[in-house]
Amino acid sequence: MLRVKDFSLSTPNKTLIEALSFDIEKGQVLSLMGPSGIGKSSLLHYLSGHLANSLQATGEVFLDDISLHDKPAEQRKVGLLQQSPLLFPHMSIMENLLFAIPENKPKKVRKALAIEALEKLKIRDKANALPNELSGGQQARVALLRTLLAEPNYLLLDEPFSKLDPALRRDVRAFVLTEIRQANIPALLVTHDEKDAEAMEGNSLYLSPLI
Amino acid sequence: MPLTHTRWITAVLASLMIFPIFIGLIGTLLPAFQFLPPIGEYQFSLTPWVNLFSNQEFYSSLKLTLVTGIVAPLISLWFALSLVVWGHDKRFFRTIESLLSPILAVPHAAIAIGLLFLLSPSGWLVRLFSPWLTGFERPPNWITVQDPYGLSLVFALAIKEMPYLLFVILAALKGLKVKESLQVGQSLGYGRFTLWRKVLIPQIYPLIRLPIFIVVAFSLTVVDLALVIGPNTPSTLAVTLYRWFNNPDLSLRLMASAGAIFLMLVIALVLVGWETIHRVFSRITRAERGNGKRRGLTDGLLHLGAYLSIVTLASAFVALLVLPIWALAKRWRFPDALPSKWTWDNIERAKPLLFELTSNTLSIALLSTIIACAVSLVMLETKRISYQKSPSTSNNHVFDWLIYIPILLPQIGFLFGLHVLLIYLDLNGNFYTIVALHIMYVLPYVYLTLKGPYLAYNEDYLLEANRLKYHPWRHYLVVKLAMLRPALLTAFAMGFSVSVAQYLPTLIAGEGRYSTLTTEAVARAASGDRKQVGSMALLQALFPVLVFWLAQYIPSRWTKWRLTLICFFSKDKQCSE
Repeated sequence: MLRVKDFSLSTPNKTLIEALSFDIEKGQVLSLMGPSGIGKSSLLHYLSGHLANSLQATGEVFLDDISLHDKPAEQRKVGLLQQSPLLFPHMSIMENLLFAIPENKPKKVRKALAIEALEKLKIRDKANALPNELSGGQQARVALLRTLLAEPNYLLLDEPFSKLDPALRRDVRAFVLTEIRQANIPALLVTHDEKDAEAMEGNSLYLSPLI
Repeated sequence: MPLTHTRWITAVLASLMIFPIFIGLIGTLLPAFQFLPPIGEYQFSLTPWVNLFSNQEFYSSLKLTLVTGIVAPLISLWFALSLVVWGHDKRFFRTIESLLSPILAVPHAAIAIGLLFLLSPSGWLVRLFSPWLTGFERPPNWITVQDPYGLSLVFALAIKEMPYLLFVILAALKGLKVKESLQVGQSLGYGRFTLWRKVLIPQIYPLIRLPIFIVVAFSLTVVDLALVIGPNTPSTLAVTLYRWFNNPDLSLRLMASAGAIFLMLVIALVLVGWETIHRVFSRITRAERGNGKRRGLTDGLLHLGAYLSIVTLASAFVALLVLPIWALAKRWRFPDALPSKWTWDNIERAKPLLFELTSNTLSIALLSTIIACAVSLVMLETKRISYQKSPSTSNNHVFDWLIYIPILLPQIGFLFGLHVLLIYLDLNGNFYTIVALHIMYVLPYVYLTLKGPYLAYNEDYLLEANRLKYHPWRHYLVVKLAMLRPALLTAFAMGFSVSVAQYLPTLIAGEGRYSTLTTEAVARAASGDRKQVGSMALLQALFPVLVFWLAQYIPSRWTKWRLTLICFFSKDKQCSE
């Protein structure tokens, strides 16, 4: 379970978020919505350990009762999926997937995991293709699987569907939810689109401006 | 690059960059006032200056320098602007654009030697038109190259500088709304050329001011080009100073130092004058811009400039073409358009020498460029980190202006001063000293070429890589640098060509113990042995062009090749497609 306690966020001259607390169970997706500039993405950056210097944040974060907020980003085992899939353009799809799989696994297992992911996406024949040879929807799915192959303890989703065209969006949403349930980790989704939130079949949080 | 202590790194690198220049300047300034302990001069006095100002050669050299050094950049700028104005939307212009980097890559000494072979009274140009048109059976008694007015030098400078300015202008245009401006203006009934002059050129100029200054400083101080194709009696000031510095009579060094200081003042004055005239000029033309005239006299000037610039570019190519012909000529009597007998013997005979020169040239160029690339990466990374920490304050990082000093300062101004230090430290004539001096000149070009793409890199890729698993150093190499490969290789090619072209730094640090293709070709240019000089200049031009071509060719194909290779060795049947 991912627990955020009393999270507050402020710029030097304005408080954006005050005393926000929530829990996310394993395999559940909490959707976070609200107007632009309210600090949604900053919350994700805070949770992933990459908050910009210009912002002040306080609060506590626990994963299964182990504190995260005092750990540097590299020890948090966090997965982050953003608008742009960020697949490495100079590596094949296979290499992108292998890149994420932990090194301590035997070579054969690593390869089998990558191939399993390819087969799940029905692009077994694209193993040696470059990311730009895939469609936008396929890239988004590969990006999710790559993130999950790194075996993160929790997942952050920063409007990952917003760049996809509407017809694709539904498929990718369903795919994401299935995968998160299968990986059985807590996930936090930041979005502008209420349909995203509905599709995740979990709780939603609305952030409104502080007055 | 997970760098820490960026402040310290900045300080150390900045002082490493300043130190040699500072020492070199001191080493020139003190002798200019009669203080040069190695030859027993400990008394400060103004004698060097008195000697300088009473020297007749100084005045004639100075006059020549001022004329060539100001006319050449003016012509280059005129040509470059005209060519852009005339051709920027023509398809044929793309060809010129793609030929720019190879032209820029060719060391200027090679072009100058080619021009010498082309334009001299017994050169290719006269041969091509003799005897059927000119009636010449022997070379005419003209002075075409190394003419006393420096016309051929101006022409050679223009050939070198015009493509550079063209390159810079094209880069500047990317940030301007060219098409839109022209459309709006043309719908108002303005002619295209007038629109460029009234609307676009005034916008371009501030963006290319610094490159123009670089070109002016280069024209005023160039040594190797002037040695090959410039006038001899008198020569330009930089060459005259160079002769004085190298004179066995060591007391001439004092006068030469005063002259070098004076030359630096001249550069400063010319640049100030240039800028003042530009200000005045733009104030005058500002009123003129609004007068509503749809066409103007300058249209013709731009037209003419465009044609002349094509001629200039073409002669650069012909000049390069004549190099291999001479290198392979066995018998080439005067009026013949081509050699009557061809041979590999020239190259065969010069093989041991060429081999030595080539290996010196390449090892110096490779080593200095690789180091310069690594240093540039560290510099850019510290700049990026400091920008990340405080975006507002570090917009003007110390590196951004420091890097221009070696380009703007005349080599003749501080290299001889630095030489004194090298002798003190017993570092003269040392291979690594040459490499170090080359780095000083290679670094700015590598840094400036790499800067744009490096700072534009989307750091999210690197962050994502380190989230998937944390290996900051390894990912810096296999993710960030691998993605920046095209920019890195272009910067490498740039640095490489700069190193190959270096004349004075090689000569001063190497003291003749390490000759390169450039130093040897320049030294022998006047020797008359065109077959040998031709082969040296050819090699000198060949390597940079080759490296530039590879830098363009490899990166776009690298990943495909790598994946094909992996497929070839794997048993995975899915690979085959």
